[in-house]
Amino acid sequence: MSGTPNDTPTMSREMKILNKHGMHARPAAMFIKVASRFESEILVEKDDTRISGKSIMGLLTLELYQGSVMTVSAIGPDAAAALDAIEELVNRKFDEE
Amino acid sequence: MQISIAQFLEAAQDVCDLTVASGEKYLDRSIREGALNRPGLALSGFFQYFPQRRVQVFGLAENAYLKSLSAEDRRERLTQLFEQRVPCVVSTRSRHPLPELLECASAFKVPVLKTSLITNRFINQATLVIENLAAPSMKYQGTMIEIMGMGVLMEGPPGIGKSETALALIERGHSLVSDDLTVLRRDSTGAINGSALDITRYHMEIRGLGIIHVPSLFGVASMRREMRLDLVVRLERFDPKREYDRTGLISETVKILQAEVPAVTIPVAAGRDIAHVVEVAALNQKLKQLGHDAAKELDEKLVRALERKRLA
Repeated sequence: MSGTPNDTPTMSREMKILNKHGMHARPAAMFIKVASRFESEILVEKDDTRISGKSIMGLLTLELYQGSVMTVSAIGPDAAAALDAIEELVNRKFDEE
Repeated sequence: MQISIAQFLEAAQDVCDLTVASGEKYLDRSIREGALNRPGLALSGFFQYFPQRRVQVFGLAENAYLKSLSAEDRRERLTQLFEQRVPCVVSTRSRHPLPELLECASAFKVPVLKTSLITNRFINQATLVIENLAAPSMKYQGTMIEIMGMGVLMEGPPGIGKSETALALIERGHSLVSDDLTVLRRDSTGAINGSALDITRYHMEIRGLGIIHVPSLFGVASMRREMRLDLVVRLERFDPKREYDRTGLISETVKILQAEVPAVTIPVAAGRDIAHVVEVAALNQKLKQLGHDAAKELDEKLVRALERKRLA
């Protein structure tokens, strides 16, 4: 982000949606729940659309179906931990099939 | 079940046009069963299964039958009836009770009441009154508002802004049921109904202003005597560490008088227009009652759209 000081950690990671139903309301709610635990700003990007990872309506509009790949970025002191936690959630398929 | 005749009389006075014909001092006797009985069979001498815990109603037929008996028989049957320790006797159609009935009643310390209604109508009205009196009820800390046909009870810690929110809702054209303390009663259908305590009805307390009289300030349309409870709104201080449901997919309920009442928790943060949020919560609940669950419907639409994309 342009306004961010240079020493603020910024990290990005690509993540693949694994659960059958994709990012519908329930997984989106879990996503923001996890993202909101961290101080870092979380951004999710897919197909040139970038939204806040703490906005439920934003996440839903990305249309992340099974097999889609999104880029999750975290900007802030706990960026690494935030990405780890989000990745763990995505990889355990949001507790779905 | 224990309802005193005095309680019954007070509650039924207006709807049943009841007066005391005799036995004013025995009004502390209690009705022990929530129904009324026409004692025709008992008067004819048949006392098996006689419902002696119920209010006994003397209508045209009972009176005519008593009159058809010899004075001796009449006294004997009435004595038998009052020996059963009935709670009270009601004479309908403004008929003055027969002298023997009054004598027996006073001998057995049973009050005799009189109504101008015809028997059937009295029985219907009085049954409702007794059911209401016997209905489980409680006082609940919370402010109740009627929002476009929906009864909404707001609860939360003191100072969170229940009364201020209620005031804002009244200004938007909704009606106040009760401020701060609400009497909740479960009716025979299992629905919960809220009303104000008689003494504080029409009033509310606003910090900084003191006590205000709502209908004087906002007109009679701003008040509602009684309202079915449809939704409990829990107001709580916004806690950044707490995780709130952001989808509305999880339905919350609160158990009141054995009934499950839908509930929502609204975090109150500075600058949030809570009245507006409560108004929308009420409308959203109304929509759910009509069979539309916005959160669920959007989710289903999403799942279908994502499925199409996945297979494309």
